[in-house]
Amino acid sequence: MKVYFSAIFALATAVNGFQSAGFVRTSSRASSAMSMADGEFDFDVAIIGCGVGGHGAALHARAQDLKTAVFAGEDVGGTCVNRGCVPSKALLAASGRVREMRDTAHLESLGIEVGEVNYSREGIAAHAKNLANRVKGNLEMSLVGLGVDVVEGRGALTGKPHEVLDQKTGKVYTAKDIILAPGSIPFVPPGITVDEKTVYTSDGALELPFVPEWVAIVGSGYIGLEFSDVYTALGSEVTFIEALPLLMPTFDREIAKQAERLLIRERPIDYRTNVFASEVTPGIPGEKPVTIKMIDADTKEHVETLEVDACMVATGRVPNTANMGLEDAGIETQRGFVAVNGKMQVLTKHDGGDVLPGVWCIGDANGKMMLAHAASAQGISAVENIVGRPHEVDHAAVPAACFTHPEISMVGPTEEQAIEMAEKEGWTLGKSQGNFRANSKALAEGEGNGIAKVLFNKDTGKVVAVHIIGLHAADLIQECANAVAAGTTVQELSMMVHTHPTLSEVMDEAFKGAVGMSSH
Amino acid sequence: MKYTITAAVLALLAAQEGVNAFGINKNVQRTFSRATVPDSVTQLFAEGSQITMPALSSTMKEGKVVSWLKSEGDEIEAGEAIMVVESDKADMDVEAFEDGVLAKIIVAEGEMAPVGEAVALIAADASEVDAVISSFEGGAAAPAPAADAPAAEAAPSGGELPDVEHTEIFMPALSSTMSEGKIVDWLKQVGDFVEAGEALMVVESDKADMDVEAFEDGYVAAILKEEGEMADVGAPVGILVPNEADIASFSSATAASISTPSATATPTTTSSTGAAPAAPECEFSQIDMPALSSTMKEGKVVSWLKSEGDAISAGEAIMVVESDKADMDVEAFEDGFLAAIITGEGETGNVGAPVALIAAEESDIPALQAYAANLSGAPAPAAPAAAAAAPAAAAPKPAAAAAAAVSSGDRVTASPLAKKKAEELGIDIGSVAGTGPNGRITASDVEAAASGSAPAAAKKAAAPAKPVWTPAAGVIAATPTARALAKKAKLDLASIVGTGQLGRVTADDVKIATGEKKVERKRASPGEEVIELPAGFVPFTGMQKAVSNNMEATLPVPVFRTSREIVMDGFDGLYQKLKKDGVTVSALLAKAVALAIEKHPIINSSYSSKEGGGIEYNSDINIAMAVSIDGGLITPTLKYANERSLLELGENWKELVGKARTGSLSPDEYQSGTFTISNMGMFGVTEFGAILPPGQGGILAIGATQEHIVPCNQAVLGMKKIKKMTITLTADHRQIYGADSAMFLKTLADIMENKLDLLSK
Repeated sequence: MKVYFSAIFALATAVNGFQSAGFVRTSSRASSAMSMADGEFDFDVAIIGCGVGGHGAALHARAQDLKTAVFAGEDVGGTCVNRGCVPSKALLAASGRVREMRDTAHLESLGIEVGEVNYSREGIAAHAKNLANRVKGNLEMSLVGLGVDVVEGRGALTGKPHEVLDQKTGKVYTAKDIILAPGSIPFVPPGITVDEKTVYTSDGALELPFVPEWVAIVGSGYIGLEFSDVYTALGSEVTFIEALPLLMPTFDREIAKQAERLLIRERPIDYRTNVFASEVTPGIPGEKPVTIKMIDADTKEHVETLEVDACMVATGRVPNTANMGLEDAGIETQRGFVAVNGKMQVLTKHDGGDVLPGVWCIGDANGKMMLAHAASAQGISAVENIVGRPHEVDHAAVPAACFTHPEISMVGPTEEQAIEMAEKEGWTLGKSQGNFRANSKALAEGEGNGIAKVLFNKDTGKVVAVHIIGLHAADLIQECANAVAAGTTVQELSMMVHTHPTLSEVMDEAFKGAVGMSSH
Repeated sequence: MKYTITAAVLALLAAQEGVNAFGINKNVQRTFSRATVPDSVTQLFAEGSQITMPALSSTMKEGKVVSWLKSEGDEIEAGEAIMVVESDKADMDVEAFEDGVLAKIIVAEGEMAPVGEAVALIAADASEVDAVISSFEGGAAAPAPAADAPAAEAAPSGGELPDVEHTEIFMPALSSTMSEGKIVDWLKQVGDFVEAGEALMVVESDKADMDVEAFEDGYVAAILKEEGEMADVGAPVGILVPNEADIASFSSATAASISTPSATATPTTTSSTGAAPAAPECEFSQIDMPALSSTMKEGKVVSWLKSEGDAISAGEAIMVVESDKADMDVEAFEDGFLAAIITGEGETGNVGAPVALIAAEESDIPALQAYAANLSGAPAPAAPAAAAAAPAAAAPKPAAAAAAAVSSGDRVTASPLAKKKAEELGIDIGSVAGTGPNGRITASDVEAAASGSAPAAAKKAAAPAKPVWTPAAGVIAATPTARALAKKAKLDLASIVGTGQLGRVTADDVKIATGEKKVERKRASPGEEVIELPAGFVPFTGMQKAVSNNMEATLPVPVFRTSREIVMDGFDGLYQKLKKDGVTVSALLAKAVALAIEKHPIINSSYSSKEGGGIEYNSDINIAMAVSIDGGLITPTLKYANERSLLELGENWKELVGKARTGSLSPDEYQSGTFTISNMGMFGVTEFGAILPPGQGGILAIGATQEHIVPCNQAVLGMKKIKKMTITLTADHRQIYGADSAMFLKTLADIMENKLDLLSK
């Protein structure tokens, strides 16, 4: 079978692509049609991967009364629950308290006096671990409770349509539709040796094995930023090593600048930009430091060597799609990413691939938006398509948040991207800003730093993007995401009543400002 | 954010041919040209611009500068955030619109400024900073005072003062006969602000030393006559300027004007060594001492950030130079290798003089080092092997030899104590193997080397209390905050003992080094609070100064002390009886003493030097009593104590003490004493001697009342318990003699023991 498919593809590329591939599709579809007969498959839907995406897909599949199996790969909960959002929020919550309680100036301004604030590293680490276990338990119970078959082993494609191999037992199951939700793993650039003790990715960092005096964080994206928040709150000093010329390269520039002021400059953090950590050698705590050699990103010449206590590698994530039979099934990945169309149907390859019938891919593995809630939305969308209700996730309306103190949140493109979009698509970009400094609730908290900016289409009034940095920004973005999703206009939003006195009035100020009104 | 460019017309030091402001004279293929003194002063235009308070929102009228992200003298790039401004809406970073150097901050952190008002000045480059500042201060029309510095240099005898508003301070005529005066002491230094009426200097005339006061407000811009120097009456001895910014121009100009021609800096130091040595035939360039400011004549190399042999790239900081204004990083202008350091750390070089050579190829380094040795007239750095083989041999330059001895080839790093020890023990520090962080040489390393014992490292390895880690070459063992703080404090991290992980320098270490933080000391028993003891100098308050002066004033007086015991049972009984009426011990004592003085007026007298000496009697008996108040000592006075009733004295005393605590005593209430009582009995002090206050003849020190068992025939057991108190009179023996003192004490004892009815009258 393997040989057969490879041959087809060799032919497909060699002769004239799509027609040959189209042949495969047609034949598959025929077999798919035949399989509609009852009892031919073990399951209606088999989901490979049990992270937030797989879980969301499974729940929705059960809601549609589909016979559903989840191949958990001994990792119920996946990255988010076990090694990502969930435990990191526990660390951020605990360390955030420490930061607040040690901020005597802030507390004194509220009339509060505190003594020395201490923490137990073990206690904080245990809090993260316990939370992950609890959420994982809840997640597993909901699957079982809803009648999803949970297969322990990791699932893999066999090369034959509708087949999923349990890599643990070697048993092959059949399913009418297969949803790939294998997730992702941390990316470790070449030259970096990870021992998960002194040099670690987010996987190791979440266990908080020790609080280093000085930690270098390679990469200044969400993960690096969140961990710098944790570490500095607990008393570490941080050095960011960023390969791009600017810190926080993926963020809206204006927000990134605010973030630099609030989250970096005021803290024991320094940084090197435009350099690669070309060689990172683990150390032994208390005996030997971690050695980080840095080279210039352009010239590749050695610029500096750091000797730190720990090094966290937060250089992004790569799909966890190796060794799961994708090649056998005729799926060509790019840097591990599986190509999908808007309906989450797997394409045989990036750039002009054809739909591989009965195979879907959601979550980090398709690279559309590497966020837990996006994966879940994609899972639900895939199931909708499976049951014949065409659906596509509007990724422009998927919000994201970074849980630093203060938080950063966003929906839609950055201002830079929006300017480009507006120019290209021929509409006028409008911009309005709300300010935390002008918000009673924020002032009551003594947290007046931050802005919320609304980017909108002046011609239609529709909200294009919103970027917020400030107190509880992550909780403020939802209204904006809903507005983007529903196409609500700033005119409509400006007339909607916001609760007083709440932080939501920061958005009220921005929406009103967009239509020339003043909120105060 | 708007910034208006104000092109100031300024004359500046010509940088084109002679002194290269950036410190590098390129030299390619033997076209070696040394920096020369500019022989003409060319007019240049300095471009300065202002940063104004931006309007961050439509409603913003004024803004507060929350923080400056750049310091004066910092280079700034267009687009770089330079300050944080708080508007009515939010804190925002304000960015620079062009490259330059932050010349001057006008609105300091925490201060407000209306929108549109200048908050800072930006100069096109470091050399124009002063010019931009003075143009702002003095207006664009005023010629830049900076230009006079080089002019003065070109014509050392000229000595013209810059054309900036200023006032000359003249040597005053302190007496009708005074023709010249000596400056004993400058009470203000250059840069200090003086108010009209404030003492500026102390001048010694033919009669006396006198404080000379300033007649108007201003800043001391220059001191023309140093302490110890003489000046004719009417000759200028200093210069005052109304604006702080004008100081720089004067200090340099006047320095040049009063210095002798030979003392004027000549950048071409090497020319004095005779025939210029032949340059090697390879591509190299020379780093010269840069002119970091328009007034800079010479600079000290604070530290080399690169060592000989290090690769350097254009734009990289290679050394820190201390100018007359600030420490500045000096950057390389081209890529290459630091071949030879001519001016070592701590050494001073004239502006334009070569401080190092840069080789294009690594292989040319030895040739350039040989050349550099000739160039600087200094011996070539000792070869590593030689230094290691003969550690005891005195190296011509410790730093150079040390650099050779340290295995990493880096410059020597030794703790200050180690350096001092090495000097004391006569050891070449370069021969000592360092075991401290960064391979730093510690005091114990020096001691080990002196005693010939094995290096401390071996001992440490045997008992690794804390593992020793030697950072790799080029690694700065300091946390990010420590680095930032050290840079701010201009401290060499290598000079700070690291206490962090693996000997790393932490923020606390830097703070301890700067004195911002004290070394934490643990109490022996845990849980006990660490007691913070005050340390360091605390200037006297006015009252403390007065006390100090008063205590010294009577040092030459020949005083003597006489003591006597007084039985206090009767006195105490009287006090217990009168206490309820508000009568205090102080009032009782004052009255008793005053009554005793009535009988011995000599005790109430003071010595007078009039007519070869005499006794100044006081007709009033005013009893001053020392009262300790927070951080001071004062003597409220019960006037006419002999004439007033106890109750009156008691009430008066209460009032005086209250005033003393609030600091509202009038001079008459604390300066009118004719005799003083100092009572420390309430503290349990049994007896003591007091210091005579100026202008009085005596002071009585009162000790505590103690119980004694004394023989008594009438008592059942043949003894009884009595209360006794010791009093000690300190008196001026010039007019009060031993007999006077003894008689006075006897009378006082008689009153307090037997004539208590006199008191309660």
